[in-house]
Amino acid sequence: MAILEVKDLQAYYITHKYGRSTSVKAVDGVSFQVEKDEIYGIAGESGCGKSTLLKAISGLAKPPLEILAGEVTYNFDGERLDILALNDEKQRRKLRGARISLIPQGSMSVLNPVRRIRKSFEDIIRAHLDVSAEEFEEMVRKHLDALGLDWTVMHTYPHQLSGGMRQRITIALSTILKPDIVFADEPTTALDVVVQRGVVQLIRKIKEEQRSTLVLVTHDLSIHAKLCDRLAVMYAGKIVEEGEVESIFSTPRHPYTRMLLNSLPKLGDSSARSSAPGAPPSLVNPPSGCRFHPRCPHSMELCRLEVPELLEVGSGHRVACFLERRGADAQRQAVGS
Amino acid sequence: MHSGKLLEASDLTKVFTKGQGFVRSTIEAVSRVSLSLDLAKPEIFTLAGESGSGKSTVAKLILGFEAPTSGKIWYRGRPIANLKGTKEFMKDVQPVFQNPFETFNPLKKVQSYFFETERNFAGSAQGSYPLTEKSLELVGLNFSEIKDKYPSEMSGGQLQRASIARALITNPALLIADEPVSMIDASLRMSVVNLFKTLKEEQRVSIIYITHDLATAYYISDRIAIMLRGQFVEVGSVKKVLDNPLHPYTQLLKSSVPDPDPRSRWEEDIALSDLETREYTRRGCKFAGRCPQVQKICCEGEPDYHAVDDRLVKCHLYS
Ligand SMILES: Nc1ncnc2c1ncn2[C@@H]1O[C@H](COP(=O)(O)OP(=O)(O)OP(=O)(O)O)[C@@H](O)[C@H]1O
Ligand SMILES: Nc1ncnc2c1ncn2[C@@H]1O[C@H](COP(=O)(O)OP(=O)(O)OP(=O)(O)O)[C@@H](O)[C@H]1O
Ligand SMILES: [Mg+2]
Ligand SMILES: [Mg+2]
Repeated sequence: MAILEVKDLQAYYITHKYGRSTSVKAVDGVSFQVEKDEIYGIAGESGCGKSTLLKAISGLAKPPLEILAGEVTYNFDGERLDILALNDEKQRRKLRGARISLIPQGSMSVLNPVRRIRKSFEDIIRAHLDVSAEEFEEMVRKHLDALGLDWTVMHTYPHQLSGGMRQRITIALSTILKPDIVFADEPTTALDVVVQRGVVQLIRKIKEEQRSTLVLVTHDLSIHAKLCDRLAVMYAGKIVEEGEVESIFSTPRHPYTRMLLNSLPKLGDSSARSSAPGAPPSLVNPPSGCRFHPRCPHSMELCRLEVPELLEVGSGHRVACFLERRGADAQRQAVGS
Repeated sequence: MHSGKLLEASDLTKVFTKGQGFVRSTIEAVSRVSLSLDLAKPEIFTLAGESGSGKSTVAKLILGFEAPTSGKIWYRGRPIANLKGTKEFMKDVQPVFQNPFETFNPLKKVQSYFFETERNFAGSAQGSYPLTEKSLELVGLNFSEIKDKYPSEMSGGQLQRASIARALITNPALLIADEPVSMIDASLRMSVVNLFKTLKEEQRVSIIYITHDLATAYYISDRIAIMLRGQFVEVGSVKKVLDNPLHPYTQLLKSSVPDPDPRSRWEEDIALSDLETREYTRRGCKFAGRCPQVQKICCEGEPDYHAVDDRLVKCHLYS
């Protein structure tokens, strides 16, 4: 059962400067579903709209980010609600923290520098629960234990901790209320591989113990490979490919996905590697048709003119590329007959 | 004695105090670290190692942002203590900070960092910023993408690339890049890393590259130092160290590098270090608590450096 359904979401940054308005089309027609208990990964080019997507679906859009269209429906224990339709900020805030939790990108820096870690825990817990001092301590201790963190960190200030420690604390903070769905934006960035693996372990443990669902944004494709059930690849405001992790890694279909996977360097290999040609496109005036066409080695006339739809090409594997259209047609016929 | 060296750091130690009251402890975040870079032969020197092992602190010491508790650093034969803050030094040695979200003041337009740097160090006239545009293009950004924007209006990877671009404006001789590509996708990451290689080869820029990404380290660097709790535990050519790691900690690091293959998931749990401060204040070898090859002596005495197979290893196994 889907815990989250996103339909045709459009979220633009609209700014008015010098009497002109510009819109950055950061999320432009995105649809996907996340099943309960799964780990859904999102990868994509720097600046393509991943963080914006997470902001929009967790109900955190505020000017200049505007939702122009779309639905974001959550399904908690049979109760369906469209977070975009909730216009009461109080209701939304209650949902966040308790039901939905977002670990923002660069979140190591969201810890308040002049407050001890303990205070940050108190803030978040007291905002949602009425607990005694003993209950508070017991709750936090148990949680920290499970995450391999020591109680003494509670007395420290953020700047006294290393990046890895701060990151683990942010994760601890955002999961202490046992939310149903956690959105994590680059949670393993800048951690060494051992701690990265520890964080992955931790996230999986939280997922199993708390039975929560996880949406994970990261540039680290190896983390996606090790952790996720399904993966979506974004390019310039759109999902261009989506499918089971195994299937994306073994048979990537979209030329952008292929380029991304090909640019991964391997330990022990220092032969020259290239990257996708050209620079990321502007989201103010994105390229016509398929937004990848100016950088695509297989670009055809059609790609410049029309926007390819995200179509199914094999079990649960969807691709937005005209090259795959034949495959998709065959699939549809097979289903139809 | 320092002639012929671009940078020479000898026996650097930095002590920090953490916590308060009875949980107060002091740690040597950097402990007797030495490194030097040749003037004649520019190189990319990687610092890798566990989170919280003192990599950023080493960077801050070299940049003169923190003063070492003991030890000395010379830049082109002159003590950093005298050079720091001078225009010459700031032009020559450029930092890229670890977290781009903390690098830029949220209340200041991103472009102002570029304009200031270009005016102060390259002497460009007010209102014309050719170097800004050029260096942004090197990292896949267009000036229009940062124009009039505040940091919160840019994505993490865009900020990180802007931070690299800013550092390149002054045409530095030494770039100290602390996790410079952690927030950008694999493809752009390769283009930045290739840029570093070109800078070294064509413009003779030396780079101290701090990263957790051993694959890119292997790809671009000449030498690597593996840090653990303030100490260099293995130092040598990147090929030697990563092809055939000798220190058990380097071996653990290498075996933890995830391969991008979903068919082999991580099944078994690994032991994470207990509280940092506990390892920092440990007697003997800092890794003894987690080392699969631990011996009695490891918990008693600190290992010396041993020269084995063209590198230095700080481990009792090689005594
Ligand atoms: N407040 C804002 N005003 C205008 N444009 C913005 C704002 N915030 C983000 N953008 C732009 O929206 C686009 C998408 O940004 P977003 O942060 O979602 O990217 P991302 O995919 O998360 O990138 P990264 O991987 O680098 O973090 C970028 O081009 C960015 O410059
Ligand atoms: N100003 C400070 N006061 C007290 N302790 C500090 C201070 N700065 C750093 N430390 C401590 O020194 C140790 C080394 O920190 P440092 O930031 O240099 O590590 P790092 O290797 O860069 O880690 P990461 O990979 O997580 O960025 C950590 O235990 C950190 O908590
Ligand atoms: Mg982002
Ligand atoms: Mg650091």
